[in-house]
Amino acid sequence: MYGLIRGPMVSIAFIVFVFGMIFQLIQFFKLTRKKGWVYPPGEIKFEKKTAGQWVAFCLASLRGTLWRTDPLMMGVTWVFHVFLVGIPIFLLGHNILLDQSWRLSLWSLPESVTDLFSLVVLACIIFFLGRRLFVTRVRVITTVYDYVVLLIAAVPFLTGYLAYHQWFDYDTVITLHILAGEVMLIAIPFTKLGHMLYFFLYRFLIGSEYSFARGARTW
Amino acid sequence: MPNHDEMKPVDTRKIREMLNQKKGKMKRYLSFCAHCSLCAESCFLYMAHHKDSQYMPSYKAIQSLGKLYKKRGKVDRKFLTEIKGIVWRNCVLCGRCYCPIGIHIPSMIALARSICRSQDVYPRLDESSAESWL
Repeated sequence: MYGLIRGPMVSIAFIVFVFGMIFQLIQFFKLTRKKGWVYPPGEIKFEKKTAGQWVAFCLASLRGTLWRTDPLMMGVTWVFHVFLVGIPIFLLGHNILLDQSWRLSLWSLPESVTDLFSLVVLACIIFFLGRRLFVTRVRVITTVYDYVVLLIAAVPFLTGYLAYHQWFDYDTVITLHILAGEVMLIAIPFTKLGHMLYFFLYRFLIGSEYSFARGARTW
Repeated sequence: MPNHDEMKPVDTRKIREMLNQKKGKMKRYLSFCAHCSLCAESCFLYMAHHKDSQYMPSYKAIQSLGKLYKKRGKVDRKFLTEIKGIVWRNCVLCGRCYCPIGIHIPSMIALARSICRSQDVYPRLDESSAESWL
């Protein structure tokens, strides 16, 4: 079992993840078509501003955005998503494994930092869980599936943290950690975790300052 | 006395056809919704109704079109009458709802409306209903 999860399952998970993402990407461009017109470019006049004016300008541009309507959730979700993607990529242990197998590795964060950051990710997940349980407007659209997806995101970090501190039986915990990572990779293209890709793809459809190609595509 | 339209059978084949026509788009909108509820405050009806959750854009889309896809179009008139209020009254298709992921919610409500209209489920001026359409 340990051999299967550590060996072929890792490759399978990565292949499913990569091909699933490519499939979704192709599907998006197949389903959408180029629009006959694009939104005109925004007319932004760059004027020289003092530092105080810049701060006022930045604060004013936040007006009406989610940073103003729900700053706590925005802050937490921002930190969560950056760390969720960043920690596994820049983790020392992962990079050592990469170096051993492929002779290439990325820059790594110190272990004490990633250790703290994974706790932050877990805290964010607890915040999301709390929202799902106690905030009415979130609870009305919450299904069991939402909790499962939250669990899929939580388990790799929880087991990773436990494995690093060698709490409980190390072999079991690290196997669970690898399995959880594989489940997450496989789940990304086919569950609502697919917003990882579609967050960016939907920008092709939106004609605003947050878009790609000025909203040049349509369904 | 029950209205003639209320007893008319539902053309599920037509509904399924309409659902399948936009399946690629709508399924992706529905399945990649993170159920975060951040769209709530962008809806003026939600704000005007003392932040009542049933006016939240994602709730309206999930309860109407989401359910239609879940049931694969096999719905009865009772179900369509249930979602009638959601798609015709609780949303005015103003297009101001903002989804952080980029999901276009009005198009989902619009499809649910088209489906309701194809089955003659829409508000009428002479409707004798306790519900206010204003």
